[in-house]
Amino acid sequence: MSSEEIPTDPWEMVRGLPMDRGIEIRTPDGRAWTGTLVPSHEFSGDRIVQLKLASGYNIGVRLGRQDTVRVLDPRRDASPPSTPLPLRATPPPDGWVALLTTGGTIASRVDYRTGAVRPVRDEREILGFYPDLERDGPVRVIPVTDRLSEEIGPADWLAIADKIVAVFREGAVGVVVAHGTDTLAFTAAALAFLLEDLPGPVVAVGAQRSPDRPSSDGFTNLAEAVRLARHANLAEVVVLMHEGMSDNRFSIHRATRVRKMHSSERGAFRTRNGPPLGTIIDGAITLGTDVRPRAPGAARVPTRLDGKGELLWFHPGLEPERARRQAEGLRGLVIAGTGLGHISLAHLPWIREAIEHGVVVVMTTQCLEGNADPYVYATGRELLKAGVVYAGDLLPETAFVKLLWALGRAEDPKEVGRLMLADRAGEFEPRHPAMDPG
Amino acid sequence: MKAGLEVHQQLATGKLFCDCNAELSEEVVARITRTLRATGGENHAVDAAALFQAGRGLTYHYEATPTSCLIELDEEPPHPINPEAVDVALTMALLLRAHPVDEIEVMRKIVVDGSNTAGFQRTALVAVDGSIEVGERTYSIPSICLEEDAARKVGEAEGAITFRLDRLGIPLIEIATGPEIRDGAEARAVAEAIGALLRSTRKVRRGIGSIREDLNVSIEGGSRVEIKGVQELRLIHKYLEEEAARQTALLALGKELGLRQARVPEVPPVDVTEIVRPTSEGPIATILKQGGRAMACPLPGFGGLLSPNGSSSHRLGRELADHVRAVGLRGLLHSDELPSQGIGEAVAATIRTALGLSGGTDAFVLIAGGEPRILQAAIRVIQQRAQAALEGIPPETRDPLPDGRSRYSRPLPGRDRMYPETDVPPIPVTRERVARLKASLPAPPAEILARLRRSYGLSDEMARQVLRSGEEERFELLVSKGRSPGAVARLLTQELPALAESGQPASAGFAIETLDELLRSVEAGTFAKEGVPKILTELAAGARSVPDAAARAGLSDPGAIDLPSLAEALVTRNADLVHKRGSDALGPLMGDLMREVRGRRDGQEVATALREALRRFLQKDPST
Repeated sequence: MSSEEIPTDPWEMVRGLPMDRGIEIRTPDGRAWTGTLVPSHEFSGDRIVQLKLASGYNIGVRLGRQDTVRVLDPRRDASPPSTPLPLRATPPPDGWVALLTTGGTIASRVDYRTGAVRPVRDEREILGFYPDLERDGPVRVIPVTDRLSEEIGPADWLAIADKIVAVFREGAVGVVVAHGTDTLAFTAAALAFLLEDLPGPVVAVGAQRSPDRPSSDGFTNLAEAVRLARHANLAEVVVLMHEGMSDNRFSIHRATRVRKMHSSERGAFRTRNGPPLGTIIDGAITLGTDVRPRAPGAARVPTRLDGKGELLWFHPGLEPERARRQAEGLRGLVIAGTGLGHISLAHLPWIREAIEHGVVVVMTTQCLEGNADPYVYATGRELLKAGVVYAGDLLPETAFVKLLWALGRAEDPKEVGRLMLADRAGEFEPRHPAMDPG
Repeated sequence: MKAGLEVHQQLATGKLFCDCNAELSEEVVARITRTLRATGGENHAVDAAALFQAGRGLTYHYEATPTSCLIELDEEPPHPINPEAVDVALTMALLLRAHPVDEIEVMRKIVVDGSNTAGFQRTALVAVDGSIEVGERTYSIPSICLEEDAARKVGEAEGAITFRLDRLGIPLIEIATGPEIRDGAEARAVAEAIGALLRSTRKVRRGIGSIREDLNVSIEGGSRVEIKGVQELRLIHKYLEEEAARQTALLALGKELGLRQARVPEVPPVDVTEIVRPTSEGPIATILKQGGRAMACPLPGFGGLLSPNGSSSHRLGRELADHVRAVGLRGLLHSDELPSQGIGEAVAATIRTALGLSGGTDAFVLIAGGEPRILQAAIRVIQQRAQAALEGIPPETRDPLPDGRSRYSRPLPGRDRMYPETDVPPIPVTRERVARLKASLPAPPAEILARLRRSYGLSDEMARQVLRSGEEERFELLVSKGRSPGAVARLLTQELPALAESGQPASAGFAIETLDELLRSVEAGTFAKEGVPKILTELAAGARSVPDAAARAGLSDPGAIDLPSLAEALVTRNADLVHKRGSDALGPLMGDLMREVRGRRDGQEVATALREALRRFLQKDPST
């Protein structure tokens, strides 16, 4: 045990120490704390040093100016040397599933020392983490990006779509996209609009609990997503997540009809305006009759996205001038209106003006269930007369994503408006069947 | 013997990381199904205990009650820690002369036995280096932690365990002593002293299961074994003695195995289903009829040592059976106990041949079940445990049994299983907070003892009994309601514990109002004090109220007993005795009459009536 006494403010010295050093802090009244230096919590107090004790507990010690600090051991090799990862066999074996990682809870892990969350990119690490994935066939892990999903945007949607095309062309039987849940529905909807001639399923999946937890829903969600991608007679973009709180029931959602409806529950994802596309209960996959089946085809992405579109959430008191400025420079705007698709008529002048300048204005309902319908109230009729496109039961977020796609597809505002109302990826549900309110 | 205690006490505050009431409930509002996975630290350093539990591949069912929220279901991040619970933990730290940390960091302790929906328990070290004086000795208190209680196991089936969520998240203070306890009596005294100190905060929950002790025991040459969750203080010494005896027996056994050069071949399990199939009765036959399989593994050199004749209850066969149970099988059969359970000599001989066993000291183990995965896991744990027997005592966690023995539950957890709970911000322990708590520390037990003697006139012995039984709070409450100190003390320190000893589980759950009504009824003469045990028994068995219990016990109308007639009839029946002994017959007859009216009349009254009957009888027939 080597020791060096530090005469000056020990805080400065401790801050300069690398983590994982064993130190002893001694107070003037003779109290001693011995442990391994670990990073302090982001919300730790002033001059708090965090130590991991031999018992495994972390504690915070407030370092006084009169305290002495001894470094107990010379620098230890914190972790065994990592062996370089052997590259997986190429070309990939038959019947493989591509797992595209984009970051988010499902593809991140906790640094057990600090509690900090970091993304996982490495194939072996992912497969080591989710050992069940290759149970009935090979899986190739392909990192696309590694960001939390609130950082993911239209450029990433395109990159993911392009990668999906590439892996299908290389022979993948299905694709799983592991994604943060916050904007999972946006990305999934974008893939549904962008991808054409899909030969097999694209399953977007996430986790509401991080995989450091033994209870993480990521384990079962990802395993079921890979199974669905491998076995299901399905060739469209879906979202697979827990149906509710149990680990044996999953819902398969059509990408354009799903929304995250809870900030933390496992069963946060819900299909709006009807039942989900399918379920997996105790391992049994059940799909509805109107799914697009597998068909030979080379997937492609014929359309790029045009980012000159936005989503405006109307609320009482929204100043027309502020809203007008938001619409400036755009080619399209989705309004999440109240009720049947309304916005205060004080906004009518700027909406008229925008439409006259070629901006496509699309109306949806912030109720998230039911249609936007212009005919019931005078407000709706006025907006319709002004040229607002009423988008039925299209979810506001889906309408926004579709708008970027339609703007990428067509120049003429009338054509963009027509594309907005034409069903492309099962995004409309014309019939809202009576359901048991439960 | 070297032993240490971990005292776990539930706090009477709200839950630790949510806003639910900490109340147990029999009402189930939702059921969910989960699985848990062992997750590892950096470099996949998965904790041994966690890996073991996850390897069982069990399904967990959780029952939510009206006091469960999304946090107990692991569906919502924890709320900030309950500050009242932190205050109680810091108060205990001060009472134990321990040093609080400057900032409390909440940790996640991986526990994948299903008792925590998250797969970890939230726990925090609050203070270190305390001590407590008990009798002549000072015991060290290395740590005081604040943690969440686990969910309550309410059911178990092959491959699945059911838990109820009402208990999950109730704050627990964990107080650990150093390994300085030398015997059972010391252990009990230390546990009682810590219990009294905890109750002095007036912030702890009462009743069965609200305080639980983990006992760490080792003997010379043995290993540290933790007996987890002992609820009965009076059994602590029994657990310690039994564990010491178990380790002694197993050490001797290991020596014998060494002499015999016994070994555990690492062979795959042998499927003996077809050999066993002709068996027509017993549990194995039943399992095979339902499509199950039977498997066996050889243990050369273990013959006669799995259940040696005439030895104590600490047999290796029992250890193996406990390990098998821990992976989800009902049990096993081993060659030392054959023939039995439908497996005869012939079948046993064929199994021996199939396993390639020939020696007279060779043994084998036979198991059966429906799931091949579980059977293979069971054979693996049998081989591991048998191997460990060659090497000594495996360190492990054990579950206490009601008879003072214990049963294997899982390997001892290590430090690998803890990492920071980043969802909860750190909790500063400011000088102001410590000063505020110091200024309002509760009276120490010695002071309470003095008060019990001084203010209520209890004898020293009685005051100590009240304190030792942990009833000082209820004692003072009942006396403040006007009940007599003597009657209250008797109820709390004799009648209630007697009921508990008789195995009535609900005895500690009586509401203070019920006890008050009971004592008032005695004071009012509704029934005699001798009836109290009967009333308590009826209350524990589900009587709705004291009058209801009295009715059930047949004590509701003391006036209905015609005491003089009963006395007269008794004297007439025993005329010979009375003739012989005259008025001295009172003694022997008194016992009979008391039995007849037990509880419905006061002893004094009975004696008066009997004396009167004797007097009349002797007057009528003065032949003696």
